[in-house]
Amino acid sequence: MSKMQSHNVDQAQMALPIVRITLGWLYFSAMLRRVWNVPAKMNPSSPLYVGGKLITFIPHSLFIGNILQYTLLHPTLLFDFLVIWTILEGVFGLFLMLGFMSRLSGLVIALLAWGIGLGAGWIGTTCLDEWQIAAVEGAAALVFTFAGSKWLSIDQLLSKKYPDGLKIGRWNIPLW
Amino acid sequence: MEHTSVVIKMQKYVALLIIGLIIATGYTFVTYQYFFAGFTNLHNYSKTPAYVLNGSKVFTNGTVVLQIARIDGPDTYGGFIVLLQLIYQNGTIVYQWNAQQLGSIPQSHIHNEYPLHPVKSDKFALVVPLGQNASVLLQVPFKLKPGTYTLIAYDVDGQNSAYGIKFSVTVQAQQS
Repeated sequence: MSKMQSHNVDQAQMALPIVRITLGWLYFSAMLRRVWNVPAKMNPSSPLYVGGKLITFIPHSLFIGNILQYTLLHPTLLFDFLVIWTILEGVFGLFLMLGFMSRLSGLVIALLAWGIGLGAGWIGTTCLDEWQIAAVEGAAALVFTFAGSKWLSIDQLLSKKYPDGLKIGRWNIPLW
Repeated sequence: MEHTSVVIKMQKYVALLIIGLIIATGYTFVTYQYFFAGFTNLHNYSKTPAYVLNGSKVFTNGTVVLQIARIDGPDTYGGFIVLLQLIYQNGTIVYQWNAQQLGSIPQSHIHNEYPLHPVKSDKFALVVPLGQNASVLLQVPFKLKPGTYTLIAYDVDGQNSAYGIKFSVTVQAQQS
């Protein structure tokens, strides 16, 4: 790699936190809203319970209609699902903001964005709101799976010490 | 030797990157067409409520079971059924339930498919949340002749159809 190319790559890397921190916050704050701002959102007996959102996805969802119906008819499963989903949003949203395991965090966030989009994608009274959210968040998050984020990030430190990623046996897993 | 390994690594990366590009772009375009028919006949099912009455039943003793599913419209609000008409094939109104009657149906006469976001009376209308599917027990205060009847529901915006969907169903009266 020539010096010029290497320089360009570094410049591109330095731009990534602009997206990374906002994208991470979108997911981390989703957890905050349910756990800190309005805990009733996670209370199955409250009218604010987010579980009810899944009903609104049913009429025009793609691929996951049967899963949504089954989950809604089994309230304990629905609650467990929401807890796991909220933890994933909070943990990997924070990881993405901090630039910790950016490649893995990007992949998880992409799957969360696209997963919700399969249900909520048809909803949006003003614009094509939910579809736009899912499409752009999924694509943006996947960028980090391929690019990592090695500036203003914990990965910056980790990659200096372990440039080939996490080493398990003879495998190098590129988490950053 | 080392050069070859770097080239192979690069080729693997590019191959995976192209797969990622296809997945992200594919998701965006496929869901755009599936949810909104954006490449053919653009629509947005979140704009205005639509109801399906399929599965409703009329009995000759005057019992009417309104099966109502809300499949379109805003996710956070409504819809509100303010008029329900039972009519003969010639268009004569046999009986109609006004907003006051629809707004005071006891909850024990409403059976919701999903436990969250239930269909309910709110004094002003019969509220049918998006995605919910309920059967509502109603009673005409006289006996009905055997024959064919049509049930028509009106949303509070005055509409009895949306997106080409009529909020009505035609059924044979069943012997009770």
